[in-house]
Amino acid sequence: MTDRMEKRIADVLLYGSVFAALIFFYIPIATLVLFSFTKSRFLSWPIPEFSTRWYGELLADRDFWSALGNSALLAVLATVFATLLGIGGAFAWSRYKFRFQWGFRILTFAPLLFPQLLLGVVMLLWFSVLAGWLNMSPGLWSAVIGHVIYITPFCIVIISVQMQGYDNTLDYAAEDAGATRWQILREITLPLIWPGIFSAAIFAFLLSWGNFYITYSLSGSTRTLPTFVFSGIAVGSSPIYPALATLTFIPALVLIFAVDRLRKRAARRRLSAIAES
Amino acid sequence: MVSPIIKATGIDKYYGTYRALTDISLEVANGEFLALVGPSGCGKTTLLKILAGFEDLSAGSLVIDGEDMTEIPASARPTRMVFQKLALFPHKTVAQNIGFPLHLAKRPKPEIDAAVRRMLELMHLKESYLNRYPHELSGGEQQRVALARSMVSQPPVLLLDEPMSALDAKLKKSLQAELKHLHRHVGTSFVHVTHDLEEAMMLADRICVMRAGKIVQLGEPSEIYYRPANAFVAGFIGDTNLLPAKVTREGDAFRFACDVLDCANPIIAADQVAPGVAAGADAALMIRPEMLRLLAQGESADCTISGTVNEFFIRGASIQYRIAAAETEIVMDIPGTSTLPAKQGDPVKLGLALGDLFAVEA
Amino acid sequence: MAEIQKSWRDGALRLSTLPLLLLMGLFFVIPLIMTALLSFQGTQYYRLVWTWDLKVWTDVFSQVHYWTIMWRTLMMALVCTVLCTILAIPIAYGMLHRLSRWSDHITLLMVFAFLTDAVLKTFGWVLFLDRSGVLNGTLEAIGFPPAAVNVLFTPNATMIGMVYNLLPYTIFTIALSMARIDGDLVLAARDAGASRLRAFIEVTLPLAKPGIWAGAVLVFVLSLGVFLEPKVMGGGTSPLAAELIRQSFETRVNWPLGAALTLVLIVIGAAALTVAGAVALWQARRVVND
Repeated sequence: MTDRMEKRIADVLLYGSVFAALIFFYIPIATLVLFSFTKSRFLSWPIPEFSTRWYGELLADRDFWSALGNSALLAVLATVFATLLGIGGAFAWSRYKFRFQWGFRILTFAPLLFPQLLLGVVMLLWFSVLAGWLNMSPGLWSAVIGHVIYITPFCIVIISVQMQGYDNTLDYAAEDAGATRWQILREITLPLIWPGIFSAAIFAFLLSWGNFYITYSLSGSTRTLPTFVFSGIAVGSSPIYPALATLTFIPALVLIFAVDRLRKRAARRRLSAIAES
Repeated sequence: MVSPIIKATGIDKYYGTYRALTDISLEVANGEFLALVGPSGCGKTTLLKILAGFEDLSAGSLVIDGEDMTEIPASARPTRMVFQKLALFPHKTVAQNIGFPLHLAKRPKPEIDAAVRRMLELMHLKESYLNRYPHELSGGEQQRVALARSMVSQPPVLLLDEPMSALDAKLKKSLQAELKHLHRHVGTSFVHVTHDLEEAMMLADRICVMRAGKIVQLGEPSEIYYRPANAFVAGFIGDTNLLPAKVTREGDAFRFACDVLDCANPIIAADQVAPGVAAGADAALMIRPEMLRLLAQGESADCTISGTVNEFFIRGASIQYRIAAAETEIVMDIPGTSTLPAKQGDPVKLGLALGDLFAVEA
Repeated sequence: MAEIQKSWRDGALRLSTLPLLLLMGLFFVIPLIMTALLSFQGTQYYRLVWTWDLKVWTDVFSQVHYWTIMWRTLMMALVCTVLCTILAIPIAYGMLHRLSRWSDHITLLMVFAFLTDAVLKTFGWVLFLDRSGVLNGTLEAIGFPPAAVNVLFTPNATMIGMVYNLLPYTIFTIALSMARIDGDLVLAARDAGASRLRAFIEVTLPLAKPGIWAGAVLVFVLSLGVFLEPKVMGGGTSPLAAELIRQSFETRVNWPLGAALTLVLIVIGAAALTVAGAVALWQARRVVND
């Protein structure tokens, strides 16, 4: 086979697979967006007439608003805790060296390797016992704990990656200039790993926002958007769900692009830090 | 020495069982420029980190500015450090970097501003740089910002950890000159770590040569250059000729025997023999390349060396000859001329004065 | 980056690890232990009875019904792992080496799709694959018979959903390890006379192995627990282990059985991880010995 031919075949295969992957990933998303603008009650193709009628129906649905509120509260709480714990975890993962570090790493990484449903089920058993002792039933609080357990490992990984390029000499330089440990953290370390923390927080928020399995197992009778949709489509599909999907895509896209801008700015700084050495 | 600003006594440093420093005793006078020199791994940087407070000492004592430093953390010591990799904070502007020590000390803003501007002027940095970030400056400018940051709070002692090692040769020369000027101007004591003895000789009042965690020699640059304590110090700079010889005592002076050198009267004074050299034992005669000269036909000298030219290098201000003589190679530097006095393969005769010889332990 | 040695007496180390350890201990380790203990109990009239016997375990191991579902789960997981790995290699390589200018944007698009609510995405697939959905509607419009593609509510639909939800894991891990390969190595192989394909097989693939392994293991372990795809896209006709577990807890209220089945899945996943870890260690050692 000639080199030219080989290159052409490789090009077709490689370009083709990337484009195919993108199309594959966006098939259900595009389908949802399309169906959200139907006028008909039935979700069949082709769409007979377009309208924004189902958005109105969705916004008038009380259950939607309560699910939205629960989703937001759950995601905010999970984000705050997972990010804070993730900062500490990332320090212990990648900046410190200590006895039993391997054990710490295994324990804090394990939830990432667990099928989410099993994670949820296992915790549900424990929460039911706890709930019996404390005389309260599983609800938003147990879902928050479940989300934090599941999401913190992601935060640790993201913040650790940001720490990879961190130059310890900066800490020494600050200490030499008279900074206390707290001042070093506030003036030097945190500002420099801030993009990682921010990305981790956004990632945590979106993971929690879109989480189905753990919420489904642990939230008791409290409904979030994913469980609201799940129980809704189990009864019968309705165009309000595509409308709901389309509405939630927009803020998610904005957040993801915000993270990307930040990451690029941080990458420029890291390059400049390398140029100094 | 009235009262030393740094007084280190019997410092040992162990990493586990590895002994990084052995019995280091050292005094630095107020306002002095001391260079710590040695090959990599000799312990010079460890010693500097002990002075700065980034490493504990295993034994001995350290007094800086009249205070015992054992329990004092780096952040509270009267020393400031210039780091090898500069360690400028990439997220802070030049002004914020320079003013950082004062900012930490919670000084009022106008005072910080004034101090930063003063440093800017001292370091010949443009005022427009104040709001730039470190990565927007050139290597030499970053160097000056780092210096400014460590000088801004007027510390009694400035510690420099090979801050020039990453710069290209030309920039290095100009910054060396500036550093020396700065030292004269501010009167702070400088302790400068470098592996480059030439740089140390240019800058320092005194040089401390270290090897394998011990001080080998501590003295003024001319002592280090002309009166090295041993062959290691002698060979640490440039291409030095060390010729094997035997030295025997003869009254107040010493007689030497060396196969390469042809001398009418091979006697040198007692101060031309390093203290460690034992009479009758193997020694080495040190001849710096610039002490040799090329003899014309019929010209004579105290001592002569005969040989043939192996190779020569034209270096502008000087010409270096490598000459094969009695199974060794002799290096000679002579002032540069437009016409070559000798070419490859030419037989040559070199001359030198007896007073330029110095004997060290082999 | 140099790491800083810390002692457990150090305040900073305690502050950064103890809250996390406490949380993981309380809500991850204890629940796991409890699950193990629970599998030795029994139920009577929908209530838990503390019997401390092996009845549930003998049930689990003797009833063919459970074995069929476990076997099906395992096979689905294996097929899904192989598909996700094979598909991800050209995608990751193409992203890095053919569309490198756009790779940031492509990654973002994939991350967005990955982070979108899985229930919604699965529902989107149903609408697309349905007998009167987008795919069949479009095919009919260009002349195919009605409902030409009848894949929804079959195990194949479940597989599409699983690959869809898990493919990003292999793409990201493989792209990450491919991006770290020194481009000069490939050039050196080409310079030595290797064809493009040969250079890819001899240099790129072996060096990307850690990422390929990591992605495959991750996908395998996660695919053991899928529940949404078989339920929504597979139509519940051939349930997988997770559905069985859910039923034991919710419908049959047999907690000991659910706990035992959960443990079986966890053990399979842990075994896969251990084998992968051992292989990785063995390979690392072989490289050192060479």
